[in-house]
Amino acid sequence: MQQSVLTALLGSAIGYLVGHWLGNLIASGYPVVQSSGYNNVAIVLGLCFGVVGWMVGIGTMNYPLAKLVGREPVPESPTEGWTRFFKMTLDHKVVGMQYIVGVLMFFFTGGLFAMAIRTELLSPTTHYWGPDTYLQLVSEHGTIMMMMATSLVVGPFGNFLVPLMIGSRKMAFPRVEAASFWIFMSGFLVILAALPLGGFNTGWTGYAPLQTEAKQGMDCYLVGFAVIGTGMILNGFNQIVTIVNYRAPGMRWTRLPIFVWSMLATSFLLTLATPVFFGAVYFGALDRTVQTAFFVDAHGGSSFLWENLFWFFGHPEVYIMALPGFGIVAEMLPVFTRKPLFAYKVGAAGMFGVALLSFFVWQHHLFQSGINPDMRPLFMLTTELISIPTGFIYLVGMGTLWKARIRYTVPMLFCLALYFNFLIGGVTGVYLSDVPVNVTVHGSFFVMAHFHYTIMGGLVFAFFGGVYYWMPKMTGHMLNDRLGKIHFWFMFVFFNFTFFPLFIVGLLGMPRRVFEYAPRLAHLNDFSSISSFVLGASFLIFVANFVWSIWIDPKPAPQNPWDSKGLEWQVPTPIPYDNFKRIPIVLADPYHYGEPDALPVADLGGELGLASVGAAGPSAAAGAGTSRTGAGDGQSRIVGGGPDE
Amino acid sequence: MSDAPAALDVHAEAEFELQNAEGAIWTATRLLIGIVTFAWSAVAFAYFYLRAVDPAQLWRPHGTTPPVLLGTLVALGVVGGALINAYAAPRLRRGETADWIFATSVTVGLGLLAAGLQVWQLTRLSFFPGVSGYTSVFIGFAGLNIAFILGGTYWVETLLARAIRLRPALAAEGGPGLSTLPAAREFRASLEGCTYFWWYMAIISVLFWFLFYVL
Amino acid sequence: MTSEETADRIERRREGLSHWKWLTGVWLILTAIIEPVIYFLIWPHLPPGNMTSSARGAQFDMMVLTMIAAPVMVAVLAYFAYALIVFRHPKGRPLVDGPPLRGNLRVQTAWITITSAIVMGAFVFGTYELIVPAGAGGAEGPSPIWTPASHTELPVQVIGQQWIWTYRYPTFGGFETTQLMLPNNTEIAFHVTSLDVIHSFWAYQLGVKADANPGVDDVAFTQTNQLGRITVRCSELCGIWHGAMYGYGEVVSPSAFETWAKAMERRLAPATRLLPPFAWTYTPSANGAGGGYYPQTDPYYDKTLYDQGRSGPEGNLPALRVEKSQRVG
Repeated sequence: MQQSVLTALLGSAIGYLVGHWLGNLIASGYPVVQSSGYNNVAIVLGLCFGVVGWMVGIGTMNYPLAKLVGREPVPESPTEGWTRFFKMTLDHKVVGMQYIVGVLMFFFTGGLFAMAIRTELLSPTTHYWGPDTYLQLVSEHGTIMMMMATSLVVGPFGNFLVPLMIGSRKMAFPRVEAASFWIFMSGFLVILAALPLGGFNTGWTGYAPLQTEAKQGMDCYLVGFAVIGTGMILNGFNQIVTIVNYRAPGMRWTRLPIFVWSMLATSFLLTLATPVFFGAVYFGALDRTVQTAFFVDAHGGSSFLWENLFWFFGHPEVYIMALPGFGIVAEMLPVFTRKPLFAYKVGAAGMFGVALLSFFVWQHHLFQSGINPDMRPLFMLTTELISIPTGFIYLVGMGTLWKARIRYTVPMLFCLALYFNFLIGGVTGVYLSDVPVNVTVHGSFFVMAHFHYTIMGGLVFAFFGGVYYWMPKMTGHMLNDRLGKIHFWFMFVFFNFTFFPLFIVGLLGMPRRVFEYAPRLAHLNDFSSISSFVLGASFLIFVANFVWSIWIDPKPAPQNPWDSKGLEWQVPTPIPYDNFKRIPIVLADPYHYGEPDALPVADLGGELGLASVGAAGPSAAAGAGTSRTGAGDGQSRIVGGGPDE
Repeated sequence: MSDAPAALDVHAEAEFELQNAEGAIWTATRLLIGIVTFAWSAVAFAYFYLRAVDPAQLWRPHGTTPPVLLGTLVALGVVGGALINAYAAPRLRRGETADWIFATSVTVGLGLLAAGLQVWQLTRLSFFPGVSGYTSVFIGFAGLNIAFILGGTYWVETLLARAIRLRPALAAEGGPGLSTLPAAREFRASLEGCTYFWWYMAIISVLFWFLFYVL
Repeated sequence: MTSEETADRIERRREGLSHWKWLTGVWLILTAIIEPVIYFLIWPHLPPGNMTSSARGAQFDMMVLTMIAAPVMVAVLAYFAYALIVFRHPKGRPLVDGPPLRGNLRVQTAWITITSAIVMGAFVFGTYELIVPAGAGGAEGPSPIWTPASHTELPVQVIGQQWIWTYRYPTFGGFETTQLMLPNNTEIAFHVTSLDVIHSFWAYQLGVKADANPGVDDVAFTQTNQLGRITVRCSELCGIWHGAMYGYGEVVSPSAFETWAKAMERRLAPATRLLPPFAWTYTPSANGAGGGYYPQTDPYYDKTLYDQGRSGPEGNLPALRVEKSQRVG
């Protein structure tokens, strides 16, 4: 039987049952289990074994097990057809497209929960859900969206584009790449399994004493985040190794596309911050299963321990959700303005500045918690400092727009929307970082609106921009332009209508995650709720567009529909299994718009030849001459930088 | 690769990709140490934080010491594995494959023994996990340590199995330690990373041994 | 460089200057309109009002931040609007590349300098506004280092539990009520703690917020200076009735407060005797409530060690403040 999603489902079911049985065998005799009627050991073991069963079923464990007896890896033969999307594959392009569908599953599920939350908040006192159901919805929404957002761009576009952009034929560890995707999808099942187990009512932050006393759905949160965290670590790990080692000859650090820089910075956050959180959820699971007391104050633990560990991960995570959006936007702007990227080095440095500083700001989530109150000025400083490198992305964007030739394509609209939304999200962030003002806005809807403006207004808009932009390369079909514009305007307008009123609601005194609020806030909440329904419906336009453009009325896309100079657009569509017939020799960065003397971005060699390299104009011929003969002035420009430089 | 030719011929491409793969293993190993360090830092942070904050004056009541001898043996097992590994790796590079295979088998055995002793120690505790901050962190440490040691043992075991399987094919070229075939070069890159990782495991083991049994 | 190219450069520079003139003009006009609007029209309506020193401080800080943020936002938005209109690619024309500007040292330096200056200004201002008004109504943990100068504050203990706020007044025998009554023109020291999970005490009109952590005495200061009603909400998720965990209170005149408190102390005396003795924190193990750790059933229980953690000032109310300040030192 061939391994696919079906065997994975079967494996996870068997694994869950075995783990559950084992847990009952181990723990059912203990008084704490007998008196409570809850056996968390069985649930946690069941979920862990279920995930292992899933990974075995899909085939990611084949090679690690074969390694135990010293077998060499079996090379994969290229496969065609739709079934390859439901199997483990070593083709980074297929993994990238799998990730798109995967994150959209997370996103749409989480979006439905969001609309359910807004339904409850239509009325200050009438309840559509009970308080317990409401909190389950809030927690599921937050957790699923956070899980989704950590992989929203690094997963799909990171895996699909990074090898193409750096001129590599593959990711460094294709099996790790496949494992990162499939373990990510098992996290989806784990977190949804919380619902039949009674859900959890801690929100996505899972604060500790509440976490320890919560129902069995909490185990799904802990195991789910451990699972997703493993996927994040694997993915980030693979990205870093690939970007460092698999750059084509001539792809110097100064020629690296800005999107790849953003992936590199994000991946460092993924690999280094996530293990701490892995530790935190591991402690939480121990507290709930073997009755340790990490977070129990009366037994020598501390609820502050969770808050510290959680936010030590949680704040870098916030930038995991911002940097990829910046990367996408900065990558697309030069194409649609026909100008080189402005202040490229400042932009790349800004991303690393953000990444570094984000490890030193976590206690700004705890300004009112009573932890280290005398450290608040320091964390206020680091938090406000981080707005300097974040501002670089505006410098890059505004500089690139200067005297540009702006084309209002659908991806460009999403780019510009990011700048608008993130401006609001960023400025409100300064309010939050100011401790005296934080006293009022902390824990209110103001915070909620703020991070929706940065994550949804930033990352999700960038993601959809990226989908419209790279879809022709991924599928060979353009998405419909008119439907795309309708989608954009609905999404942009109703996103702002949904979340802007929530700033005001928060300032007027409405805390987060409540199901009852002051009647005077009803109008604003109603406005937000109804807008959120339209916002949700706008994604139906996207789905319709997708179905229409890919299946109902497919129109083959040209190889380079946007006239981009990026390396990923110079390969034919559909992209061959090995991406590049010959390893490309990179000659220039991908932003040399308006520079008639510039060389084409790369010599692709082989049968593609330089003639087909983008809109390089007459200089292409000259570039071809120098690169072939390797003589004269061209020599140093072509071969000056190797990957080890 | 600073003087890469303007157009790589097919052989140069193969060499280029092999060098990429070797570099990738090098980077991956160092990065792995970084990742694991951050995971351990969660345990270390919990240790020092609960010890310092200690809200209920319950950091470490009397009678909450796990079996010291077993814990010491676990740490010694890991340190021994690292030493043997470091002793054997240069011999492999001199072509003494049989020596290396024997020594590495001992390393695998020590790893399994250390993990087993750590499990056994967990069954011999004289305290309930939740009685204090110290006991909680200890349980967390022990669980993570088992996974950590087993992970390192898995790595060295896969190298061992691979060397045994490759040995006949590479015998003419001096074994996996000297051959220039791609499989041998990747094997050596992985072995080099693995040796580093075992040193790292030894350091971690000694560090936490000190924290839990001495300090 | 040929003279033709020089002329071209001068032309482009002139064009650039005219763009800058337009932009600066638009920015100056909009800023000149918006700043007075914020100062005169918006400031008085900014949350959380001006019932206390900390509320007034938060309102002032919010106004200052808004006045800093507004010109920045206006500049960015005006630039984008201008660029999107002026620099658009005309429809139907063939695609032409723009000028290859890869950077401009002066612009970049200016950008970094200006943003750094704004950020440092905001930091210095925020720190000043945090330290000088004794923590600005925010949580200062068990041993506050920024305290009111007068040292005559009225201690009010705020106890969060699932899902209700109660208040104990240690200077009045430690009685416990569900209504937060405060005297006007008085420094208040809120001592916030929790009996179970983490809550967050948010007295909106007072401009006070402090997390209620189990086993932690979290202190926040404010000074009342206006009579009025108070709404208290929990702003940290604490379980299913988190949304219903709110209460009310009132700031009354000092004499009315004195009368009320004395009356309550008398009236509630029988109930107060049944409560756990007043302490800065309460743990389930100390009073046996709510399950948890029962030392007497623990075979490894060491009484001397355990009792060190229980050396609270129970039953010794006058010594409370002394004990507190000793811990601070």
